[in-house]
Amino acid sequence: MPAGLRTVILLSFVLAVGFLLIILSCALWQNWLPLLVALIFVLAPLPNALFSHCGSDELSSYESSAPVDLGRFITALFVVTGFALPIVLAHSHVIDAKACVMSITGGGLVYATILAYSAAFSQEESDYD
Amino acid sequence: MALPRSSYDPRRVCLNPFPEFTLGKHRRTVGVYLAGALFALANWAFIDAAILSAHAKAPYGSPPTVEAPVHVTFVDWIPGICSLLGYLVINLIDKDRVRGDEGFGDSRAVWRARLFLFIGFALMAGGLAGSVTVLVLKYILNGYAEQFLYYGYANVSQSVALMLSAIVLWISQSTSSEYEYNLTL
Repeated sequence: MPAGLRTVILLSFVLAVGFLLIILSCALWQNWLPLLVALIFVLAPLPNALFSHCGSDELSSYESSAPVDLGRFITALFVVTGFALPIVLAHSHVIDAKACVMSITGGGLVYATILAYSAAFSQEESDYD
Repeated sequence: MALPRSSYDPRRVCLNPFPEFTLGKHRRTVGVYLAGALFALANWAFIDAAILSAHAKAPYGSPPTVEAPVHVTFVDWIPGICSLLGYLVINLIDKDRVRGDEGFGDSRAVWRARLFLFIGFALMAGGLAGSVTVLVLKYILNGYAEQFLYYGYANVSQSVALMLSAIVLWISQSTSSEYEYNLTL
């Protein structure tokens, strides 16, 4: 079995576990607000993916430009929002504390899967990154 | 330092005077990520207080029919709005313009850029001062319980984190060359 196939299977398994945790954290308490966490973590890599093609046309390969910086800023914003939202909701007793922990774990797994996938299968510019 | 050569010993006094800040070419990336995280953290700290106030219960130990004595109102939002405006103003400025190198633009443009920078920092400092004012005047002097003092503390931490985020972003974006990573103002 090639290494790529094993990685894909493992990552999809982790992704499924992450979504399972998030959906369980919603369904066990009949409170579907933690589902927002899944949405946020899925959207989190999007700004980087969009803005990474805007900057650095030529001759400035490793000096990042303003749009790239904006993408990174928004990405960090999304990630911290994904972790902060369940904590805030649990703090004001909108959701249960256990649901908070479960949704944070699930969201972290989903985001780690996306990061690992893009790190493992990035085909371009691996030599001068 | 115009010490004579013979009496000057260049060995350092402390063993480890300052942690080596060698993130290399990733410093800008790390700084931008850190600034975004701080920005989100600042706003979530305050939103947490606002949501908590909307769901506020009575002080601990009293019957549940008692209303909460204080809520987050619009007054609490004003320092955060000032800080956010200052954040926007600071980051909209062209950073090369502020530095005012010779032969780059006229001096009036530099003067205008510095005026805008001053307005931005004044807005942020005003937000910080306003949040401390709200904390003291609205929460501490009225002697509310610790549960409600949290609203004021969240306000102050929002302003402080926004300021830190602006500083981190400024430093990380003004490191174009390797030799200057101080606040060149």
